[in-house]
Amino acid sequence: MIRFENVTKVYDQKARPALDSINLEIDRGEFAFLVGASGSGKSTFLRLVLKEDRASSGAVYVAGQNVANISSWRVPRLRRGIGVVFQDFRLLPQKSVFANVAFAMQVIGKSRSVIRDTVPEVLKTVGLEGKENRLPHELSGGEQQRVAIARAVVNRPGILLADEPTGNLDPTTSMGIMGVLDKINQNGTTVVMATHDDDIVNEMRKRVVELKNGVIIRDEARALYTSMIPVVGQSRRLRDASGRTEQPAASSRAEARADAPAELRTAGEGQA
Amino acid sequence: MRLAFVLSEIGSGLRRNLSMVISVILVTFVSLTFVGAAGMLQLQINQMKGYWYDKVQVAIFLCSDGSTAPGCATGPATREQEDNLRKLLQSPAVAQYVNDFQYESKTDAYKHFKEQFANSPIVDSVTPDQLPASFRINMKDPEKYEIISETFSSQAGVETVIDQRQLLERLFSAMNAASLVAVSIAGVMIICAILLIATTIRLSAFSRRRETGIMRLVGASKMVIQLPFILEGVIAAVIGAALASGTLWAVAHFFLGGVMSKQYPDTAFISPGQTLMLAPALIGLGVVLAGVSSLLTLRRYLRV
Repeated sequence: MIRFENVTKVYDQKARPALDSINLEIDRGEFAFLVGASGSGKSTFLRLVLKEDRASSGAVYVAGQNVANISSWRVPRLRRGIGVVFQDFRLLPQKSVFANVAFAMQVIGKSRSVIRDTVPEVLKTVGLEGKENRLPHELSGGEQQRVAIARAVVNRPGILLADEPTGNLDPTTSMGIMGVLDKINQNGTTVVMATHDDDIVNEMRKRVVELKNGVIIRDEARALYTSMIPVVGQSRRLRDASGRTEQPAASSRAEARADAPAELRTAGEGQA
Repeated sequence: MRLAFVLSEIGSGLRRNLSMVISVILVTFVSLTFVGAAGMLQLQINQMKGYWYDKVQVAIFLCSDGSTAPGCATGPATREQEDNLRKLLQSPAVAQYVNDFQYESKTDAYKHFKEQFANSPIVDSVTPDQLPASFRINMKDPEKYEIISETFSSQAGVETVIDQRQLLERLFSAMNAASLVAVSIAGVMIICAILLIATTIRLSAFSRRRETGIMRLVGASKMVIQLPFILEGVIAAVIGAALASGTLWAVAHFFLGGVMSKQYPDTAFISPGQTLMLAPALIGLGVVLAGVSSLLTLRRYLRV
């Protein structure tokens, strides 16, 4: 569904690249966490998927299409296939819950009757039945994020990108949000979630892609927030990666463990 | 794209930005009024030129009832006198200065008079008999007017010889200067209007950046995102243009029609209906002005 081939993104020629020769494939229907410290390249990754930015080199494929080949007037069509959720919800404060969700359908020209049918259905999916007429400030943070998720998925995108969706929420509320995201994932939507929230990652046991300084240092299935696999020589490889003396290793070869068999997906596996 | 949705977006944009929208309306109103004033002056010049101005330079008016000139002692010009004058015009001595001449009978004169003074109350009190017949002469060299004047003034049946150009030229040059001034003021005001529209659209785009950001994310087309902003500017400009057209109509109706035509009954003024012919041009100019300046602003300040 999303494929990065040797993608490098340089914002500033003098500084190190935000993403450095990333190879990654996320399949249809998958749920993947993107973890890593601030500045590790998580947001850049999401921006490249949305074609908000252009990769400096390499190719980004979304739903089988190289986004570099999408002309500017067809970018809206790309974005209709991708839902986005943010840490700060980004709801329209003067519009009701229903109107906020309906807005996403109105602006792409859906008819009023379709909107009337679809919005309540989606609000039910995110667990906001009966709150259609509330204004955002009358809702809790968790409820506001549910509205944002409803808006992101109301047009049935194949991909849902979530940029720290639980960043402003307490742990219990966060788990509720994760339940919603999981439900959406069960319905076949590919979910990519950038997060710092280790509790959630540990609880969900989904695929984890860890970025550090623009390089993928870990890519494990059903993994935890921090790797439980002691990787020998990691510090040396990182030094090489940051010094850019050689093609940085894009994957960490993890030894298979009996309790958590690692499923290596990175394309760089062969070189490592 | 849903029309109702775009319209409600425009409505909310206009409401949120009301003071700026009003200033755009006023600036386009004033600038287009000046443009229209220049247009009105040109219309007025055309009106005063009448039927003959661009075709001939010199008019030889023949005697009619009540003429008091010395050549008219025998009363209105006779057929014979007319034929004599025609012969004289065709004689080599005169013909060398004349390109062409036409005879305007009393009926023709009445017809042209009615056209020119269509908007004036005087037209009802004039009959064909009161208007003199005339020979209208197109000169090879307009400066040679004196020769025609000397030759014909003393002829029997000629009331007067008039160089129409000289009579009206000074007035027209004053009016042309006035319309030039109006156009220059309009130019400055139009620059103001363009800058103000650009600023208004910028503010509007800024105050609605949440909405446009979300529209972008959910994949709204460039058209849907930009159209409300452009239409906002265009609607304000059209209101301004309509006000300007209304003002010009009021000037023609109340000032020219009500005051001036009574003070100067022998001058042909333009009608209020004629000024309304300027309205489509003014509205078109307003639309182009607002459309282009908002489009350029959006290209810079609104990411889509």
